[in-house]
Amino acid sequence: MKASARLVVALDSHGNSVVRVLRSQSPLTLVPARRVGAVALVHLVSSVTSPLGGDSLELTVEVGPGASLDLRGVAATLMLPGPTGLPSFSSVRFSVEGTVRYLPEPTVVTRRADHTAVVEAELDSHAELSLREVLVLGRAGEPGGVLSTLVRATRCGRPLLHQQLVVGSPAVDRSSAGLAGKRVVGTSLMLDAVPRASGGGEWWNVVPLAAGGTLATALGDDVVTVTRVLDAI
Amino acid sequence: MLTALILADSRFPGGGHVHSGGLEEAAARGLVVDEPSLESFLHGRLLTAGLLAAGFAAAAARGEDLAELDAELDARTPSPAQREASRAQGRGMLRAARRAWPSERLSALPRDPHQPLVIGVLVGDAFEAALTCAYLSVSGPASAAVRLLGLDPFGVNAIVASLDVEEVAARACKELPALGSPALDLLAEAHVRREGVRLFGS
Repeated sequence: MKASARLVVALDSHGNSVVRVLRSQSPLTLVPARRVGAVALVHLVSSVTSPLGGDSLELTVEVGPGASLDLRGVAATLMLPGPTGLPSFSSVRFSVEGTVRYLPEPTVVTRRADHTAVVEAELDSHAELSLREVLVLGRAGEPGGVLSTLVRATRCGRPLLHQQLVVGSPAVDRSSAGLAGKRVVGTSLMLDAVPRASGGGEWWNVVPLAAGGTLATALGDDVVTVTRVLDAI
Repeated sequence: MLTALILADSRFPGGGHVHSGGLEEAAARGLVVDEPSLESFLHGRLLTAGLLAAGFAAAAARGEDLAELDAELDARTPSPAQREASRAQGRGMLRAARRAWPSERLSALPRDPHQPLVIGVLVGDAFEAALTCAYLSVSGPASAAVRLLGLDPFGVNAIVASLDVEEVAARACKELPALGSPALDLLAEAHVRREGVRLFGS
């Protein structure tokens, strides 16, 4: 299945963030909340079981100057192998001149899944983006499949964060220089001018990025522990 | 080739011996205690941080824009402790290099350059630079393991010799890698926060 969806949010003359373009294509179904305010709320609903092997999904999001968007998931994404044995692919591309909060629910990489997920964000000089990602290797008691995630964020073309994470190679997943045998990886990226205290514990930390912004990372054995750490930041 | 050999030599006075690449923290937590756990650590390090560093050394050797590479490597190194360790080792290497191999290209490096960029500029050949960098990404932690854990030097050397350093260097020459290692980032930051005696700078 190939699908692309597009979402454009802009500020209207009353100071409300309104959805100007909403083009869904199953399974990428965008559901805007019926409320008018400074922040537009849109839920991203997977309206068909997806991604399966062979799927290619693309979402493009544009947020204009002064506008603000909360884009949320509603359920965990289960990455599954397809009948063809082909890998699956998904991408989300943000072009931000306002503010975006992207909060998908956890992604579970099931056994034999082979998925590549790309998130790209280009910000202008005052744009703000926060992005949370929680990856789970396999369902309970199941080994994980193969997942490659790439996050690249730039501000006015200058790179802020460029991180690839590949899970599903047992030797690296187990290595204390890889995932240290943990099943769940959570990251929370905050690209804004808010100063945050650095710090951390045994398997989590909050650090300032070189070119501005903050990244929180947590490793754990379950989603609850990792989510709790990210929520506290 | 000789330059690569000198840079990879543990006796090269670039200050690399004070860095353990996260091994000290891993050993302090009991994550690395013996040869099998060291092998797992080195394997993971080579395929993540090693590949990343090697890719940037290769790109610098090919003559790509050094300021751009420096910014791209920063974006691929979220941990400030790892950025500082890379720049400290770059600084140390550059100090020794200015005496040994003075050249115009060295002055094109940004201030406090990341170590892979210095290696790339000095070695000049993409594969050799990647190989040097990939090797250094595991040789430092390996010798730190001998000092910290009292492991058998022959056993540790055999582990280093068995790693696919050449394959990683070849992959690093193909495209600019971006592979992160969440655990290495966490270990590097925890090492900085650790109170008490630390033998290594990273």
